[in-house]
Amino acid sequence: MSEFQTIGKSLPRIDVRAKVTGRAVYADDIQLPGMLHGKVVRCWEYAHARVKKLDLSAAAKMPGVVRVLGPKDVTQKPYNSSVLDLMVSEPMHQMLGDVEDQYLFTDHVKHQGDAICGIIATSEEAAERAAEKVVVEYEPLPVYLTADESKQPGAVQFTPLKPGNLAFELPEGMFPNHVYGWGDADAAFAEAEVVFEDSFQVPKQKQAQMEPHAYVAQYDDQGRLTCWTSTQMPKCVQRKLSKLFDLPMSRMKVNQTVVGGGFGCRLGMVMEPEACAMALAVPGRPVKLTSTREEDWLDSPTRHPGKYWMRMGFKKDGTPVACDAYFANYKGGYYLDGSGVAFTTGAWLGGMYKFGALRYRGESYFTNQTFCGAFRGYGNPQTNFVMEQMIDRACAELGLDPVEWRKRWHKGVGDDGWCIGMTYSSCALDECLDRGAKAIGWEAKRAAYAKQTGTKRRGVGVAVMNHTSGAMPMLLEHTVCTVRLNEDATAEVLLACSEIGQGSHTTLRQVAAETLGIPVEDVHMAIGDSDATGYDIGAHASRTLYVGGGAVKAACEDARRQVLERAARALAAEPDQLDIRDRQVFVRDEPSRSLPMERITQLGVYNFMDPQTGKTVGDPGQIQGYSSYFPPHNSPPFGACFAEVEVDTETGEVKVLELVNAHDIGRAIHPAIVEGQLEGGAQQGLGFALTEDTLFDANGLCLNNSFTDYKMLGPSDMPKMTNILVENPDPYGPFGAKSVGEAGLVSPVGATANAIFNAIGVQVLQAPITPERVLQALASKRAQ
Amino acid sequence: MKERNITLSVNGRVHHLTVPVNKTLLEVLREDLHMPDTKYGCGTGECGACTVLVEGSRAINSCLMLAATMDGREITTVAGLDQGGELHPVQQAFMDQAAVQCGYCTPGMVLKTISMLAKNAQPSEAEIRHELEGNICRCTGYAKIVAAVQQASGQLEAPTLRQAV
Repeated sequence: MSEFQTIGKSLPRIDVRAKVTGRAVYADDIQLPGMLHGKVVRCWEYAHARVKKLDLSAAAKMPGVVRVLGPKDVTQKPYNSSVLDLMVSEPMHQMLGDVEDQYLFTDHVKHQGDAICGIIATSEEAAERAAEKVVVEYEPLPVYLTADESKQPGAVQFTPLKPGNLAFELPEGMFPNHVYGWGDADAAFAEAEVVFEDSFQVPKQKQAQMEPHAYVAQYDDQGRLTCWTSTQMPKCVQRKLSKLFDLPMSRMKVNQTVVGGGFGCRLGMVMEPEACAMALAVPGRPVKLTSTREEDWLDSPTRHPGKYWMRMGFKKDGTPVACDAYFANYKGGYYLDGSGVAFTTGAWLGGMYKFGALRYRGESYFTNQTFCGAFRGYGNPQTNFVMEQMIDRACAELGLDPVEWRKRWHKGVGDDGWCIGMTYSSCALDECLDRGAKAIGWEAKRAAYAKQTGTKRRGVGVAVMNHTSGAMPMLLEHTVCTVRLNEDATAEVLLACSEIGQGSHTTLRQVAAETLGIPVEDVHMAIGDSDATGYDIGAHASRTLYVGGGAVKAACEDARRQVLERAARALAAEPDQLDIRDRQVFVRDEPSRSLPMERITQLGVYNFMDPQTGKTVGDPGQIQGYSSYFPPHNSPPFGACFAEVEVDTETGEVKVLELVNAHDIGRAIHPAIVEGQLEGGAQQGLGFALTEDTLFDANGLCLNNSFTDYKMLGPSDMPKMTNILVENPDPYGPFGAKSVGEAGLVSPVGATANAIFNAIGVQVLQAPITPERVLQALASKRAQ
Repeated sequence: MKERNITLSVNGRVHHLTVPVNKTLLEVLREDLHMPDTKYGCGTGECGACTVLVEGSRAINSCLMLAATMDGREITTVAGLDQGGELHPVQQAFMDQAAVQCGYCTPGMVLKTISMLAKNAQPSEAEIRHELEGNICRCTGYAKIVAAVQQASGQLEAPTLRQAV
């Protein structure tokens, strides 16, 4: 029997009933009395232009229009919609050089879809009709779609704060010579017996979460601004909005609604500034602002695309001597977290293998596309695509088995993880590799596919990955939790951790119930109202179960300690002799000495004094547990993915036949939710590898901002998937758990690319690996 | 804009409405009838989030259907499926199989499944996947949604509590 009551059980999700009945309330579902509708007028004609003239007079006269808002009618403070500034210290912020380069409404259009002005009307349709009457004259500017173009001397500057349109490079103060890594790479390469290098391209993938962005905002009669939002980061957004609009935080409220998918797209502010600016323009009236799918595509962040060069040196026995890498990403029109992915892409690279030396440089360049931000994996899939193909090229050249090479050379317990100095506290990657290889039939298939003829070729490939559980030490990790015990020994857990579909509220409730020793049904998660909850960073960096769960566990341990202290007095025992299970407090070695937990919580609240004796029974005071939790460590998960593909060498088409995803997650608090993360991650990872890229024409206008033209794998495209959950409890994670949110996406990228390499004997250097690129690769192989 | 008087039955309740001829069924459901259970995902019939049933079993994208053309029709949305606290077997299957994450595609998925099973009570896995092509889910990778359809069609048992493997 499991040592746990709740942990490890796939219980129905907290929110599932509301979601299958359609009663879950997403932001666009909110209806308030007197509600108005906002519309942002965007530049659809140009990707780079200056606004020469803006005339709102005709729009203002349209029926139903309440207000028109030009750039001077709203705050003109520059801002940065990302939240990195909140998560690093001031000196670190200065060193990184993160800048504020966004304006609510701009006169310098930097990407198609940039915001020009706003309309507030009595209906969405009235706002849209008025938007058509806005007159804008533009002066077109040269369009830069790659770093090579925007960094040319004489190019139009995106912001005076970043000369040369170099948004970011690893800062000298922290990374001498702008390099992250260890050892002397040049000296190490001199020792190498074989060296490989190549240049790769990675795509501008879009989160394409199913719910477009939606908000309601209201400036009420107390002078308080409330924003209902589909954000992933309610507390950070509250802080950012309060700064942007110069409102004390006590007058800025954020209500997180049910969120229809995030995947990083809703990190920081998205269109909250526009919604709030509109609400401030019509005091008292709620304003709803929703984005169309096309707006979502062009005015909310994407993954960072770019050029990724890598060189690796080995001894002939496979010893990895040195790795040199350079990733120049195309940042899009605005800075956001320009420093983030440029660094982490190298961090995941450094966290994987025991190279003798590593030299990584990362740079971000402004370009005239939708700005980049966070997308599940945050640089890791880019690295996986490149690093894992380079490893397999070396294995092929040196005659080594890719599984055995990885088992020999991956980092493990005690090695530096994603940041130098943050060592791995647990690692079960060998078990992932062994079980995954067995599940896919690695040896037999590799042998069989070595001697294929015909036009359809099969291949099997492997890739491994490391990730993080939270963003420490680069960024702040902190979650506040309060747990309040009711009179009847049920509990309310108050915290701001985001449920973005990943199931966090369900798993955090399990952590609470297990710690308190009460049934999971008796725990209510009171989340989403910034008035009631303390600080939390939000759902990013796969942190919610690891850090949020740590906070819940600490708060519940605090409450539990108080229960046990009181129970010890009642039972004439010591607190450490007691345990709680199913709402009974009992002496561990003598379970018949027990009392219902309810007796303690009841008497804590209803602590009557006997008027005749002046005495009370039991201990007074409603029990509350509290934690302001800064995790002591960052315990990264590992994963090994195996993919089998069939490549049609006549058409270039790739069909993924099977995917085995083996992950070291520490402990599965809720196995079905873990599986769901891996399976959903795989769909996005396969998309990165095979089909997904936001495309622009030479003028920077988007060619595929719709589900028809942007190809994601559908139900018929998805392969058979096998999940292997390797449980190797981590010493720091709550109940041994490590993260899983982003992990599932990463290694399917490299595994698929390597399976294609195995099938056709040539690597495709640009993701997504489209049929055209497969055919080009085959042609170049024949030409050699 | 021209208007038209229509009678629309939604989840068994009859509504007499005057609708502009350019208004979609999705807009009428959400804005006029204040029934937000049917979702906007793309507005162009690509994602299936706005799926509703016509005459109990035919799935359509309500974002592509003008309300004025639906006069006299009987519409079922996901909110009309559960009766007296009892979930519809398809809803129950989505719950049992952990086929719901963010939930935004779920109303459309549930209704599409009902429509699929009305045509073919025992679809093969390939048929299920083919039928679901018009409904996009970005969270699940479809594996557990396929399992939910299999459970709803009696081809798969409802799972008991699972332990980690």
